[in-house]
Amino acid sequence: MTWIGELVSIASFVSSYLNLTGTLATAVDALVYAIAISILIVAFDYVFGWVERKTIAKIQGRHGPTFAGKYGILQNLADFVKLLSKEHVLPKRADRLMFLSTIPIMLALTIFLILLLPFSPTLLESNVGLGLLVIFVLLSFMPLIIFANGFGSGNKFATISAQRSVVMLLSYEVPLIFVIATVGLLAGGYNLVNLINAQSQWWFVILMPIGFFVFFVAMLAELERPPFDIREADNELIAGWLTDVSAPYYTLALFLDYSRMFLGSLLIAILFFGGWSGPILPPFVWLLLKVFIISFFIMIVRASMVRMRIDRLLRFGWLWLLPLSLINLILTYLVFIR
Amino acid sequence: MKIDRKDLTQRAKELRAQGYSYLVKITAVDYEKYLEVVYLLRDLEHNKDESVEVEIDPADAWVPTLIDAFPAADWYERELFEMFGIQIKGRHAERLLLEKWNGKAAPLRKNFVWDAPYETEA
Amino acid sequence: MVTRINIGPVHPSTHGVLRLVVDIDGDTVVKLEPHIGFLHRGVEKLVETRMYMQSPPYMEKLDYVAPMSYDEAYVATVEKAMGVEVKERAMWIRTMLLELQRIASHLLWLGTMANDVGQFFTVFMWTFADRDVVLRLLEEASGARMFYVNMRIGGLIRDLPPGFEERAEEVMDHVEKRVKKYEDFLEASPLFMERMKGVGVMDREKAIELGVTGPVLRGSGVDYDVRKNNTYYVYEKLNFKPQLRSDGDCFARYKVRMMEIRESIRLVRDALAGMPDGDALGMPIKLILPSAKNRMVSVSRELPRGECLMYMIADPQRPYRLSIRAPTFINLAAMSEISKGCRTADIFAISGSLDLVMGDVDR
Repeated sequence: MTWIGELVSIASFVSSYLNLTGTLATAVDALVYAIAISILIVAFDYVFGWVERKTIAKIQGRHGPTFAGKYGILQNLADFVKLLSKEHVLPKRADRLMFLSTIPIMLALTIFLILLLPFSPTLLESNVGLGLLVIFVLLSFMPLIIFANGFGSGNKFATISAQRSVVMLLSYEVPLIFVIATVGLLAGGYNLVNLINAQSQWWFVILMPIGFFVFFVAMLAELERPPFDIREADNELIAGWLTDVSAPYYTLALFLDYSRMFLGSLLIAILFFGGWSGPILPPFVWLLLKVFIISFFIMIVRASMVRMRIDRLLRFGWLWLLPLSLINLILTYLVFIR
Repeated sequence: MKIDRKDLTQRAKELRAQGYSYLVKITAVDYEKYLEVVYLLRDLEHNKDESVEVEIDPADAWVPTLIDAFPAADWYERELFEMFGIQIKGRHAERLLLEKWNGKAAPLRKNFVWDAPYETEA
Repeated sequence: MVTRINIGPVHPSTHGVLRLVVDIDGDTVVKLEPHIGFLHRGVEKLVETRMYMQSPPYMEKLDYVAPMSYDEAYVATVEKAMGVEVKERAMWIRTMLLELQRIASHLLWLGTMANDVGQFFTVFMWTFADRDVVLRLLEEASGARMFYVNMRIGGLIRDLPPGFEERAEEVMDHVEKRVKKYEDFLEASPLFMERMKGVGVMDREKAIELGVTGPVLRGSGVDYDVRKNNTYYVYEKLNFKPQLRSDGDCFARYKVRMMEIRESIRLVRDALAGMPDGDALGMPIKLILPSAKNRMVSVSRELPRGECLMYMIADPQRPYRLSIRAPTFINLAAMSEISKGCRTADIFAISGSLDLVMGDVDR
């Protein structure tokens, strides 16, 4: 467990080496931490891009990538290089600012949100009191940014995708907020570290399975994973809001996709599976292990589900998720609080 | 059965009333001296087929539409117009179905010249 | 506000080069118009310039998912024009091969259908693997994997290879198990049922009026199958039963095709069991005398996608005119009618359930 401590001390290593103090030291620490976590995110994106291809290939009775590197591990790198070598095309009808800025903004936002999360008792950048609320406020900007991108691209498929994005926001955001409120109620606050400590005895997934179900479904919708990839619906809307996005930005969008999956899995792990808590292994490893298992499950869902229709999702959100989240809130209050 | 062009609409309605409600195909044959439009109808209940042939003059090639009695005739008639240059009277002009040739050529007629330059729709 | 969107001809789920011009109001389809002709090759004109037995390869390229069925329909037309009787054993083998072809075609359809409703390629990959097993069987029987050209006047290019029966039995057992698995997998998913049930409804009267054919017609409860009502070869001896559903929605069409796979498996098994000995070889192409006896012939056949009617005016050496009634042409014509008022996402469920092959639509 000492090496984790060393990992954290890397963050303060630079500032102490440069003999910095005060605000400057904090800023440098934060920068170093951000770079370290960004590398972690990129590593996760890369590995999970490969694991997903392999897993889905296995389910479908294919081999997946085999050619580049051992077991095709370098395939994603090859694809990445190929995508970067492609021409960038800006559609005539596109709104330049809205179209080009949104994907980098979303990626930055995702990385920022991951930076707010605690990775281990020592490996954390911020420990604000309302951490969970901050995260979900920022997270709910995502569909709006997608809306801006889809609308800005001037493509009709992207516009339909943008409209669907807003409809989706209406369908799952309210139940999500109720579940988060219940989690806060159970943990006695919205501080993420306290939230994990509150789960040291029982994980929240055991204490409120209904809440977990609602959260998981809403998270799948938030992350655009099947069966809720309604915005991206590749065999209806070609690529949804990404239809006119050309190669360099599409590369970013792929990164964004997996980064968001990382973020979503992290949130599920922290909120419902006790975060870093676990025996023997270091807390950081425990968290990543949980994230991997959750992400893996999300992949299997992708390979086995049929896409939902947008009007059905709206109905599902209001007729099932919302009452379930309310029942969850009331049950949690009656059983654990009162 | 062979019937005259002016009786076609009436005959189609009669056949429809007799139970021949399923239109199998509308096609045509170019016999050079005359064009023959063939309507293949079917009675699904009694499993009977009926064909109606109409002879028309290639220079004055038109037939009345059957789209009122048989909605399935829609695409077949459009195909007929494009492939044989047979005008379908009684329905408004629509865009071409299969070709981009402005409907000026009639490729399935026997006097069709292969490889001749035809104006294409832009 | 009504928006016009243009789907295709290059689009992930238009099965080739179909172009749909759709007017949508919000998420509801107001008007849908299929634009076709991108794959129009003028086959009807082309065969007029070829000798009779030069044309089967063209016929196979019409419906590239079920080539042998088209080939057989054309050869049967030529046989009827020439007044040639098909040999007894060849009739049995043809029946069996056509049913194998139907299984292969329906398996491919199932995969693409699942894709169209948003299944991420899983069923698609599975059915493709199973289709390949069936195609291998067809390859054994004909010598080619996709484009067989194994029909000859009066029979076939070759008899079945030794040991074919056992392997066919194995394949049929395998396919039967897999079909069960697909049905369990898809129908256990409420999402799939939601996407299929009550979508693209076409009632009985409408189906007859629009002249749709094949599984689409039978999915609407019309009991018409050429194999039963205008029977050919040995379907009568094999006690063929047409598969019907009365709902007329996408799920009914799906179910009809699934039941047809089962029925085809049974037909293949029975055909293998009852196959008589004897000669199955047809005439070598070079020995065919130009001798069309009947001037006008029309032959109709039940292809995997519906009824194909070949209307031929025969000249001694080559067809004077060959008119093909393509099954998917008329099924696609019905699409604009049945997709009125559906949701945008349902367009693809409907086009998937019609089982379109653009080569067949455009000819």
